[in-house]
Amino acid sequence: MQLSTSFLAQVTPVEPSPVQAALTQLFPADNFVLLGVILALPLIGAFVNGVFGKRLGREAVTLMALSAVGLSFVASLVAFFMVSSARVGDELVRFQWTAWEWFRLSTAGDFSQTPLNVAFSLDALSAVMILVITGIGSLIHLYSSKYMEEDPGYYRFFTYLNLFIFSMLVLVLGDSLPILFVGWEGVGLCSYLLIGFWFDKSENASAGKKAFITNRIGDFGLLVAMGLLLYFVGALDWSGIESNKEALLAPVKLWPIGNEVPLARILPEDAGKWLNQPRYVSGATLVGLFLFLGCAGKSAQIPLYVWLPDAMAGPTPVSALIHAATMVTAGVYLMCRMAGVFVLSPTAMFVVALVGGFTALFAATIALVQNDIKKVLAYSTVSQLGYMFLGVGVGAFVAGFFHVLTHAFFKACLFLGAGSVIHAMHARIHDTDQSQDMRYMGGLRKFMPVTFLTFAAAWAAIVGFPLTSGFFSKDEILLKANTSFVAGTSVAQGDFTWPAWGHWVLWGLGAAAAILTAFYMTRLFIGIFFGEFRGWTIVRGYQAAVHGHADAGHGGHDDHADEHGHAHEQPGPDMQGPTPHESPWQMTLPLVVLGILSLAGGFLSAHLFHVHPLDDFLGPVFGDAVQRVKLIKGHETRTIPLVAFAVVAFLVGSLVAYWIYLQAKGEPARKLAAQFPRLHSLLIDKWRVDELYEETIIGAVDSLADMCVWFDKWVVDGILARLTTAIISLSGTALRQLQTGRLQTYAAAMVVGLAGVGWFLLTPRAAAHTSADHSSGRYEITAAPGFGYGYRWDSDGDGQWDAEDFGEQRTIAFSLQTEETRTIRLEVRNAFGRTAEREFTFSRPKPDKSGYVAAATGVGAENLKNAHEGVGMKQ
Amino acid sequence: MALDLVVEHYVLLSGLIFLIGAVGFVTRRNVLVQLMSIELMLNSVNLALVAFNRQHGGAMNGQMFAFFVIAVAAAEVAVGLAIVLQFYRLRATVNSDEADGLRH
Repeated sequence: MQLSTSFLAQVTPVEPSPVQAALTQLFPADNFVLLGVILALPLIGAFVNGVFGKRLGREAVTLMALSAVGLSFVASLVAFFMVSSARVGDELVRFQWTAWEWFRLSTAGDFSQTPLNVAFSLDALSAVMILVITGIGSLIHLYSSKYMEEDPGYYRFFTYLNLFIFSMLVLVLGDSLPILFVGWEGVGLCSYLLIGFWFDKSENASAGKKAFITNRIGDFGLLVAMGLLLYFVGALDWSGIESNKEALLAPVKLWPIGNEVPLARILPEDAGKWLNQPRYVSGATLVGLFLFLGCAGKSAQIPLYVWLPDAMAGPTPVSALIHAATMVTAGVYLMCRMAGVFVLSPTAMFVVALVGGFTALFAATIALVQNDIKKVLAYSTVSQLGYMFLGVGVGAFVAGFFHVLTHAFFKACLFLGAGSVIHAMHARIHDTDQSQDMRYMGGLRKFMPVTFLTFAAAWAAIVGFPLTSGFFSKDEILLKANTSFVAGTSVAQGDFTWPAWGHWVLWGLGAAAAILTAFYMTRLFIGIFFGEFRGWTIVRGYQAAVHGHADAGHGGHDDHADEHGHAHEQPGPDMQGPTPHESPWQMTLPLVVLGILSLAGGFLSAHLFHVHPLDDFLGPVFGDAVQRVKLIKGHETRTIPLVAFAVVAFLVGSLVAYWIYLQAKGEPARKLAAQFPRLHSLLIDKWRVDELYEETIIGAVDSLADMCVWFDKWVVDGILARLTTAIISLSGTALRQLQTGRLQTYAAAMVVGLAGVGWFLLTPRAAAHTSADHSSGRYEITAAPGFGYGYRWDSDGDGQWDAEDFGEQRTIAFSLQTEETRTIRLEVRNAFGRTAEREFTFSRPKPDKSGYVAAATGVGAENLKNAHEGVGMKQ
Repeated sequence: MALDLVVEHYVLLSGLIFLIGAVGFVTRRNVLVQLMSIELMLNSVNLALVAFNRQHGGAMNGQMFAFFVIAVAAAEVAVGLAIVLQFYRLRATVNSDEADGLRH
């Protein structure tokens, strides 16, 4: 990939303007607080709407939400221009802002600590992303202010939407993988909340759960990748990973686990040898594949794509913002961000490209036969995401990211257009499924000119109509799939080189998907806007008085339908209704802006005309990574045929669809379906992948859960819990006898207790602490003190008391010769004249060769072993 | 014959009163009588304290302590009688065997 910097060199001003100088002074590159502003605004919006939204009323909620995102967009624009003007030559510009230190991680191996800061950074890649997020975000906020107007959860919707913008900005602006992960989970949460926005319908709630759980599988991959990066590289922030990434080339033994496979012993020798042969991958491959698992979850790639079509249960603006334009492209963003790591592993890149290409084709086949317009767009999104991964997988990071941009434009436009159509259909059809079914649409171009024109623009872009945005981005990806590959490194063991047929497979998948895309999008376009209107018989002057709310109850919500009599009417010629209407300006303005971008956005990277400002702008971000991306020999000669093919693909796909659905009124399609009924139903049922997962993975989890339930029921509850309760209730029964409830019993117990304490106090105890030092022969014995105690000793062991009277002396010290034994007697008398007596025997052992070892350390218990304790009590 | 009072007599009397109080407390069921028995025990202790203080002289520790006991006893009676009053309102009895609410 050749990157020229000429374009930016032109726009880079030599002399900074006063405004620029002031901005640079206000926001220095190493403390770029503007990022805090960009982040804080949507967060404040979410907080205010979330906490006070219910009392604020609709206008205030709208104002808060829209101004938060709008101002964030303005701040993003400023940041974007600061990034673009700060660049000199090919240097990477990265503005940093560290909010605070989060925690420190102990890295494996050495015990150094990796600080983990809540730090954000802005470079060319994230600058473009935040423009898309806040820009399209603002448009969709504006659109939603009308679309969701009648919804009782209006404030809740905008809280989630603002929170989503905040989380997405954290994801994109985070300076390290853990911060990115915070945003990653945040957008996942918002996605869950918004898919299940109308949670009173159980299928919406379960669609949200499905999205959340499927994403967890991907997040597992991302977490493992983080751990591996920390292990190999010792850093998780972008510059740390970038500077140390060569460490990832270290080979990792994957197989066998341990030294050998036990199974190999019973196999024939050859097979055992083959089984035991160690197999290595590079650390980069491991990290890359686990990262890609994370990306596949978030960006709906095979095998984790199943959640995205179901996510259409959410309101349509959410589908446009989260499930088409921004969140689902987070995986592609992460791949671009980690480009330097991915290119170290040709294996991982090939897997990414292959999965991307296959997803593109697979999802396109499902989209061919769907009738729900949002479902078609959902599978189209999965397919287009596949394209992006195909692009970044072959090392065309700019092309893949460019498709993120153009896709954000045209797919957001398509979804919002679909929302506008559904809005119109809701004038009469209130059932969610029926109002989204294109079999009840048709001919709407007469009634909704703005929606029609903008939808047409987006349609042109996605099918690859020459010179539209989608044409350039898709063409660039297909071109690169055919010509570019990732070169292996000689350092890593078990290195993988891309096979020669790989290009044709990848290109073939993408090209076939391109034809299918043109076909199903044209089918959708015709189905909505051409032909006769099939929803209801239009009656001029059809009055709202007849049916309550001709204009109310939009927003995809159908709960109130049952209150009116017409809920169970079937749409079709038998039903009467008003003329379908165009949407208000809040909804058409975003459509117009996005439609224009869909048409003109291609010139951000039109290599055909040598206009590629985006490539120049992003160049330094990928400058290092693209060193390993090579082009095959003779790639120049392939450019023109491949571009020509792209045009042919568009023409074939859309003309066939035009012929089938407009010229022949869908007759050939019905014939085909009748001819291949099983294939048709398989496609309608989305290849029954959901059913496959249901049977295998979910079934396995279910039976595991059943086993756990059995264990819980019989072992935990049955044995452990019952046994414990039995013991406790038995002892309770015994002890309850003491609890008579009679004051006298308790008083008597107190008297007995007091008598016991008194007895204890009246009884003298002749206890003593002894210490011995065998090496010097010094021994000491100290009697325990007590109330009114007097002591008398027989310290010389002659059987006679030293003094007849009891005295105050508590401690006796004496010396012994080697092998001498002495018995000391102690008698204690307390204040009441009662006495107790005890004997202590001391003996000094003969020294062994090493001297008196025990003596040096021994006190107390150790020496008491030597003292024979004859205890006697004299009353 | 003039009685020669020594400290042993006081301690003996104190012990006797304490015993009467203790036995009364344990054997009677009337809460009011039990309260009176407690008073007996407390006052027997007071007597012993004062007698010992008299014997040792000097510091007034015993007397001081006796005053404390009297103060505590007054507080105890106030609280105790309040409880008895409430109990009587609740159960219309002052039999301590009836005060078994915590048991059931």
